[in-house]
Amino acid sequence: MLILIPLIGAIITLFMGGSKQKYAKYVAAVFTLITLVLTLFMMVNYFEDYSVLGENYAWIQTSLIQISFALEVDGLSILMVFLTALLSLLVVIFSVHDADEDRPNYFHALVLAMEVGLMGVYLAADYFLFYVMWEVTLIPMYFMISWYGGPRRHYAAIKFFIYTHVASLVMLIGIFAMGFQAGTMNGGVVDFSFATINSLMPMTSEAFQALVFALLFFGFAVKMPAVPFHTWLPDAHTEAPTGGSVLLAGVMLKMGSYGIIRVCLEALPLGAEYWQWVIIGIAILSMIYGAYGCIAQTDLKKMVAFSSISHMGMVMLGIGCLTEAGIMFAIFQMFAHGLITGILFMVCGMTGHKVGTREIPLLGGLAGKMPMYALFMMIGFMASLGLPGLVGFWGEFPLIFAFYEFLVEQDLLWMILFCLLSLMLTAGYYLWAMQRTLFGPETTKIDLTHAHDVSKCEGIALAVLVALVAVFGVWPDAALQFIEPYTEWIIGVI
Amino acid sequence: MDMTTIFGDYTAFAPMLILMVSALLLPGVQMLTKRRTVTWAFAFVMTIVAMAVNIIMLTGDFTGSSLGLVEYDGFTGLMNALFLAVLFLAVLVSNASVETTRLHVGAYYALMIGATVGMMFVASSSDLLTIFVGVELTSISSYALVALKRNDARSAEAAVKYVIIGGMSTALTLYGISMLYGLTGTTVIADIANNLTEMNWMVAIAFISMIAGYGFKIAAGPFHMWAPDVYEGAATPVSMFLATGSKKMGLAVFIQIFMVLFAAGTTCADIIGEEVQYLFAIIAAITMTVGNIVAIAQNNIKRMLAYSSIAQAGYILIILAVMNEYALTAGLFHMITHVFMKGGAFLIVGALICVGLGEKISDYKGLAKRAPFLAFAMMLFLFSLAGIPPLAGFTSKFFLFSSAIGGVDGVTSQWVWLAFVAILNSAISLYYYARVVKAMYIEKGTTTEKVKIPAAFMVAIVICVLAVIVLGIFPDAVFELCEGAAAVVMG
Repeated sequence: MLILIPLIGAIITLFMGGSKQKYAKYVAAVFTLITLVLTLFMMVNYFEDYSVLGENYAWIQTSLIQISFALEVDGLSILMVFLTALLSLLVVIFSVHDADEDRPNYFHALVLAMEVGLMGVYLAADYFLFYVMWEVTLIPMYFMISWYGGPRRHYAAIKFFIYTHVASLVMLIGIFAMGFQAGTMNGGVVDFSFATINSLMPMTSEAFQALVFALLFFGFAVKMPAVPFHTWLPDAHTEAPTGGSVLLAGVMLKMGSYGIIRVCLEALPLGAEYWQWVIIGIAILSMIYGAYGCIAQTDLKKMVAFSSISHMGMVMLGIGCLTEAGIMFAIFQMFAHGLITGILFMVCGMTGHKVGTREIPLLGGLAGKMPMYALFMMIGFMASLGLPGLVGFWGEFPLIFAFYEFLVEQDLLWMILFCLLSLMLTAGYYLWAMQRTLFGPETTKIDLTHAHDVSKCEGIALAVLVALVAVFGVWPDAALQFIEPYTEWIIGVI
Repeated sequence: MDMTTIFGDYTAFAPMLILMVSALLLPGVQMLTKRRTVTWAFAFVMTIVAMAVNIIMLTGDFTGSSLGLVEYDGFTGLMNALFLAVLFLAVLVSNASVETTRLHVGAYYALMIGATVGMMFVASSSDLLTIFVGVELTSISSYALVALKRNDARSAEAAVKYVIIGGMSTALTLYGISMLYGLTGTTVIADIANNLTEMNWMVAIAFISMIAGYGFKIAAGPFHMWAPDVYEGAATPVSMFLATGSKKMGLAVFIQIFMVLFAAGTTCADIIGEEVQYLFAIIAAITMTVGNIVAIAQNNIKRMLAYSSIAQAGYILIILAVMNEYALTAGLFHMITHVFMKGGAFLIVGALICVGLGEKISDYKGLAKRAPFLAFAMMLFLFSLAGIPPLAGFTSKFFLFSSAIGGVDGVTSQWVWLAFVAILNSAISLYYYARVVKAMYIEKGTTTEKVKIPAAFMVAIVICVLAVIVLGIFPDAVFELCEGAAAVVMG
């Protein structure tokens, strides 16, 4: 259902060309809203008994190969599904004015098509379907960047497309290997369902798991993106339209960490143990490099893009601990980061749109001219650097605590310094950027006479996110309750 | 309906018989009526009749042989269906294409049908000599088809190149066949497989010359040089016919000869099986890499499609390296999906030539505005060729590449490198396909004037679009036919 509705919406909006195109936004809003409401129903339903909800239809069934159209939602995916539904709706609301300038029907069709792919990835319970949906997300994003993006959009779009496509192909090889291995263990029928593969794979040898883990991990790490496979992200973000960036950072990057937990940990626990230090190494590298990268940026949006790399590194760190707390808060951080980057990219988009430039050295003293804008930006930055009381705090500090516990066990306590370094850098670049853009004397380098404050639609979208950031900031348990049963289960697997 | 009541002992021969008779009648029809459209209609109807007969026989699980020469089984039926589908698409658009207006249409359709008969003959034989005859029938008809655009210098150049290289490959294969005959005293493939008991240099030369000879026919690297020139020079329906049909014939030859020779348990497999598998793996890797890398540099869309065809043949050659039933199933399925995606792409090029658009990729700028459906269809075909889900090309590549990693017996590490090469190639190919998509959708054209293409092209393109989507999402039925066909070949 959750896939079907945006799909129908995408097809309808696609054909709303010509004079009807100004209504495309309403259609898109209605369809994303229906999806969100359904998601909420599903969450309530799930909350009652924590059972795994799912649908299953036979798809390709031959004597050799069995592929089914299987959908499932559990503690890992449910928050991601919610995030997808929420951000899709907010992107539609936020982009009402921006999108109206140029073929709004296509823009909204692309948003809805993205939603189809993303929902599919998070709901899929069959590797074939998972891979199909994984690739389906690429095409709308490619067009979104190359139609609605900035000046260097063609380069960024093709780089994004090919970079992540190569990674997914490598991942595909890993999927083949798992499928066939499971096929032999299963009596000659190659069955690609999560249930079969994830229950049989942990029984295979360590060498096999380590090899397949490496293939799959590469595919997911590029998506996350982890240093040194991150170079597509800043380009894609800088050039993408605001709505595209929100979806890209808010939900699409999570596909990578979702895949690592869903596939790499569930199916290949020995592989995860084998590569544990590599994961942690890459995670620390991403955190610190991402944060350093932020300091060097002059483009506000590129800075936020690098901060995503740093924060996703933190998610990977949590996963790398392979402890219950680590994984639990890694999932929470995925959710928290989704909400926060939503705010950040919307704010960046507004900077570019209203002020005319996103270059930090050219900006200054915007708080006087655009108070609401400044408020949202401050909340976003504060949440992102982990201010207690906001959702980012519950994403980051328990993660570091989990890592600390892990280090105590390993007797390597000095490594916690890396985390502290990254936290300090994070606080540094956010505060510095804020100081330069919002406060101080009003800039004279650019013409600010046309700078308007937040519009109504943008305000609604931002306010919803800010409210959620605050709610989950004081009451993180609301989200953790969804995650907890899942992490308890997965720790049993590992 | 039981075809044996109509055709009696010649049932296995039936689809070919219908086509042969119509090929012989076609010049006469043209002579008597002097009307292009009547000739076209006759050829078209006969194609449909042959296709219907074949589908009835295939779905009725007919097996049998005629004249001790032609055998009909699941594999034959499937290949016939594929060749007839190609013929159907090519004939359907030929009357509407401006590129055929000045041709002698009686001869044109007769040659095209004759070439198809040759292909079907190949798919129905189990003897080196009959295969040879079928290949020659197709080749000679194709030479004439390419040369038919008499006033075009490019066409003449293409035809000359095609004839010379084709002649050389014929000589090579004949040499190989005669050596095998000398060694074993038979040309029946299944007998050769068990009569060949000793490895010596004669065996090696025989196989190498046969692989090289038929390698020319499918334009496998390093024997591929002729293909882009020929596809560029020929009329676009002919290019489509050659790229999708006659290439599949070459692959069918490889399957018919080598899969049978090296099926498990033959003495032939014991003495030289592994070496031949490696040889094919190397040829496959070279073919796909050369095809894809050179395609990047192309500015003419027909040449680009030609090189992409070479690459696709490389992918399909994986089955000859892996040589098991699963791989063959996947390969056959990819051959079928390839007909529609590559065929569809060529049809769009042909349709746009009819309305005066050039063959350069830069001529496609802004096409999305001028012809939204055509641009969308082209995007589907190209993304399908690149293997983007949920299109047919993805599904078939999924099975094909996976066969190099393992099969129902589990993971086999031997050909994993080949899967890597194939997958990297797939990624490279996305770059040049995306260039065309970018030109159509993102770059601005010089004009926004709407494009209207002939109805026949539209019908053919719609068929291909549907096939690409349906085969991608619901491959079951066709995949099962492929499984059946593969089981027949592997015994």
